[in-house]
Amino acid sequence: MELLQYHIKCRKNEVNQAVLLPGDIERANYIGTNFFRDSEKIIENREFHICNGRYEDKPVAVCSTGIGCMSAAVAIEELTNIGCKYFIRVRTCGSLSSQINPGDIIIATGAVRGDGASKEYIPIEYPAVADYRTVTALRNRAKKDSANYNLGIIRTHDAFYMESPFAFGDYKKRVAIWAEAGTLAIENESSTLFVIGSLKKVQVGAILVAAGNLITGEKGTKDELQKSIDKAITIASGTLVDLQKREEKRI
Amino acid sequence: MHHLQIKPGEIGEFVIMPGDPNLCHLIAEHFENPQLVAQNREYVTYTGKYKGLTVSATSTGMGCPSAAIALEELIMSGAKYLIRLGTTGALQKNISLGDIIIPSSAVRLEGTSVEYIPIEFPAIADIDIIDDLVKATQEKNLKPHIGIIMSHDAFYKGSVFAEPDFLKKEQVWIDSNVLSVENESSALFIIGYLRKVKVGSILTAVANHLTREVIIDEEKINPLFHQMTDICLEAFTKKATTLF
Repeated sequence: MELLQYHIKCRKNEVNQAVLLPGDIERANYIGTNFFRDSEKIIENREFHICNGRYEDKPVAVCSTGIGCMSAAVAIEELTNIGCKYFIRVRTCGSLSSQINPGDIIIATGAVRGDGASKEYIPIEYPAVADYRTVTALRNRAKKDSANYNLGIIRTHDAFYMESPFAFGDYKKRVAIWAEAGTLAIENESSTLFVIGSLKKVQVGAILVAAGNLITGEKGTKDELQKSIDKAITIASGTLVDLQKREEKRI
Repeated sequence: MHHLQIKPGEIGEFVIMPGDPNLCHLIAEHFENPQLVAQNREYVTYTGKYKGLTVSATSTGMGCPSAAIALEELIMSGAKYLIRLGTTGALQKNISLGDIIIPSSAVRLEGTSVEYIPIEFPAIADIDIIDDLVKATQEKNLKPHIGIIMSHDAFYKGSVFAEPDFLKKEQVWIDSNVLSVENESSALFIIGYLRKVKVGSILTAVANHLTREVIIDEEKINPLFHQMTDICLEAFTKKATTLF
């Protein structure tokens, strides 16, 4: 465990134990700079950019994962190896529901395992479920911040150019089965993160912002989206604080 | 309804679903003015009152095929908030006989739910029901285990009464922190999500697959069923003010 982790290039206790997981490198830097106090860049290697900092009165961190479950799995495995315990995915997604418009916030209870990485960990029958206490803490923070949110199952998949507005052919037909089942949105990392969380007994949740609606084709403006993303980052950071406080109370 | 032999209006929005039809009689003892609404095959239905709410108990029979039928017909009859109540075999050493388990979700090792939606879709309990059950359990000064369970179809392939090497097959689930094994929750969770009603479960460990301990005595098991019934009914009252 004292070993230098192969991809994130960090050692035990070098990263604070409560971590936000965006996909985009730029967003990790944005969160570190604009939301954390005493922000300190720990490492920049490949798609993994890590910052430590403080939010409210607790230590927190942010680590970008890159796009997709393969690099996300590497990030959470190596962060867990060096002592991290609380993870919240924060990213944009494509809405699959006519009720969820661009800019709306989603808190995921679980994810459809349309990815490849989680299948290498455990058979497909195993549920990709968000940590119950993290979901509850996210809901409580959202309520405290008077933020509206949608709660439910999302879909994680690997091939962006099969299920997105930029996809080849009739992408709506491909996603129809999930939309009909009440799946709220599509994104690329949560299912593997949830599965690894359950296997390694670390707490993982996800808060997402709909960037567009895959069914209606509606897209949000850049300013509107940024406002919602900021709100989601605020809720997620506050949740990392609440989860750490709860743990202290238990001890 | 084709199998339950009930009509809309004959049940409440709040329903307890045991597996065993005999348990419906035990659960109905907790209702005010319980009425036996129907009895057909493995399906027994009682309706009564609890703290002003109309509540029902309907047995599902064993396994997801009959449980799915019961849930579908209950939803068609107006049920909105349904809790499976049952027993389970623990897969972890820290779970003692008599402990309460509130599943967050279930491994889909059964055949029924796959006819509804592909296997990669997660079987997740309604989070409001989890909240209500956790609160109601803690109010009785009990500490529930919350986590992933496994639902399967073949009792004699995965129970303390199964062939001796059954643990080999279960090792993958033991290693992946699955709390326990039972037979109905995963299909109930899937159907609940698809039909947009609230479905959850409360289970009590009556066996431990690792230690091979098991409770068989009715005298020892019945108080556990009464305890779970109390918790379900209190959970109903928590959501009743905000849900509808």
